[in-house]
Amino acid sequence: MRYGLYLVPAAIVLTLGSLACKPPKTAEQIKAETQAAFNEGYQAFKDGKGRETNPYSVAKEAKENPHKTTGWFDGWDKAKADKAAADQAATEKAAADAKAAADAKDAADKAAAEAAARSAAEAEKAGAYKKAAEAALKTIHFDYDKSDIKEADRVSLQGISDFMKAYPAGKLEIEGHCDERGTNEYNLALGNKRAAAALAYLKTLGVDEARFTTISYGKEKPLCTEAKEGCWSQNRRGEFKLK
Amino acid sequence: MLRFLIRSFLCVLAATGLCAQQTEVVLSATSSAKLVLAMTSPKLSGVEAAAVGTEFTAVLKRDLDETGVIAMLQERLPADESPVKAWKEAGAQWLLNTRLSRAANGDLKLEATALDTAAEKGVFTRTYNANKIVPLRHLAHYLADDLVGRLTGEKGVASSRIVFVRQVSPGVKEIFQVDRDGAGLMQLTRHGSLTLSPTLASDGRLAYVTYKGGAPEIWGQRRKDGPHEKIYPTSGAGGMLSSPSWSPDGKRLAFVQGDRRGNSDVMVLDLAAGRARRLTDGTGINTEPSWNPNGTQLAFTSDREGGPQVFLMQDDGSNLRKLTSEGTYNASPTWSPNGAMVAYVSRFEGKFDLFIYKLGEGKAYQITTGVSTSESPAWSPDERRLVFTSNRFGSSQLFTTDLSGRQIVRLTELAACQSPRWLRGR
Repeated sequence: MRYGLYLVPAAIVLTLGSLACKPPKTAEQIKAETQAAFNEGYQAFKDGKGRETNPYSVAKEAKENPHKTTGWFDGWDKAKADKAAADQAATEKAAADAKAAADAKDAADKAAAEAAARSAAEAEKAGAYKKAAEAALKTIHFDYDKSDIKEADRVSLQGISDFMKAYPAGKLEIEGHCDERGTNEYNLALGNKRAAAALAYLKTLGVDEARFTTISYGKEKPLCTEAKEGCWSQNRRGEFKLK
Repeated sequence: MLRFLIRSFLCVLAATGLCAQQTEVVLSATSSAKLVLAMTSPKLSGVEAAAVGTEFTAVLKRDLDETGVIAMLQERLPADESPVKAWKEAGAQWLLNTRLSRAANGDLKLEATALDTAAEKGVFTRTYNANKIVPLRHLAHYLADDLVGRLTGEKGVASSRIVFVRQVSPGVKEIFQVDRDGAGLMQLTRHGSLTLSPTLASDGRLAYVTYKGGAPEIWGQRRKDGPHEKIYPTSGAGGMLSSPSWSPDGKRLAFVQGDRRGNSDVMVLDLAAGRARRLTDGTGINTEPSWNPNGTQLAFTSDREGGPQVFLMQDDGSNLRKLTSEGTYNASPTWSPNGAMVAYVSRFEGKFDLFIYKLGEGKAYQITTGVSTSESPAWSPDERRLVFTSNRFGSSQLFTTDLSGRQIVRLTELAACQSPRWLRGR
């Protein structure tokens, strides 16, 4: 606290001092100001409004900014002046271009909107296909070590057949799966047998068998892993996947 | 503070108790025909005693104990410097002395001598020089193998490896290998897909089935240490492919191809010619081919008579005969390395047990019994043990058993393992 008192005057001195001293101009600023002065004069000259006297040679100005005075008569740089004019022209042209581009963009947006509408229609169609597939492609189940189509699954297979007839471009993969009881290799063969049984049944319903592929996963992709019949019966299955 | 210390001590105690409970697998090891071997502590120079204890002595003891022909003397051991007579009185028939020394450049030297305690003369002397990158436990394996070789005339299998399939994540399985003692786990494939049914040629070439292309394909190595490449189908779709099996000479690959009518057939692919030939007749399921050691016959599983049973046939498909008759589900035949036995699994009350069919006697012997399932047998190269999978601790894990089924040892604690194969060399 004792020395805190000294801080107040010190702060005042520092603030005032920094306000009083303007930072010196940089070389860049000086150069820019000089060129601007020249450009102004040159433009006036070209417009026929040339002046005999240096507008900056006011006593005070000349004293404070000597480069402005000199700029008036020995800063003539035609190339720079032309460049400034060219720059302005370029800016104008750029603006025009931007406007044109904006117009073009509007047109493109319009076209895109139309395309989007079209693809939305397609997506809706695809959505309907997906939805129909979801509704129709029901998993079927098998008895232990058997590959016979069960009575209860015939409705599901009829649904799949109807779906395939409604969407003639549709293709399916039939997956055969098994429960964990049995050897890995024998179950791969059994899964193949189950997929083939489903394929044969769909063929009898009048669907071209070339539209199906079959794959066996044996017991390698179980839905559940508990060792009880409730789980095993879920795993002994045939699944239908869109291709 | 004291209370905290006591509590943490109790926690540690409980944790070690749990571990011990989980790792305790050895059931029993009783056989009068085994040679009783005692081992003095290794003499060391320039090698850390602690590392030798865990990485050499313990490994060697376990290796020798699992050979099936040597029993380690465990109790009432005389002091290291006792006379040979004392070891004989303790029950040891052979006394093993070892000396481990490390040279200045880091290389290891192991000198091992075995004494017959009755005759008091040397029966085994061997020196091993190992580069410094060779782990101590490998030295123990080599010594164990040579001791068994000295005793039986056939090298042991402590330095062999076991290749198997392990689930990495649901729907993704890859092929791994471990050393015979369960150490040194290594991943052999990285397909990011279902990869199944490894088979190893005698020169170590691997073949397997992978689903990475959507449909199953047979991949493997066409030459020793070569890259893994697609072997079958060479073009187009191959249907259901499974169960590849190298012929003993490594020139042919038996495998199973399933068609769209639900049949699976045993095929044999000639690697050099690139032609595959069908051996079975195309009705029902024929799978799991296994070659006899001279490559003239195959054992396989077929459901041609209803349920799966084990059959034998010539390598051209002729001379078909049924091997198993008892039980409704017999599968996974694997011919023993010397050709006299076929191991297989048989289902009883919803779980499998291992059986061995002795071809000379025309009789089958049951190896495992119990409430848990035992599947996928594969022979050790010396025909003394079988590696198999079992769910006796929950998930499917790897175990080995002697042929009596009395000494069952858990190989690793890895979960979700299947289809082990056992091969000499690493």
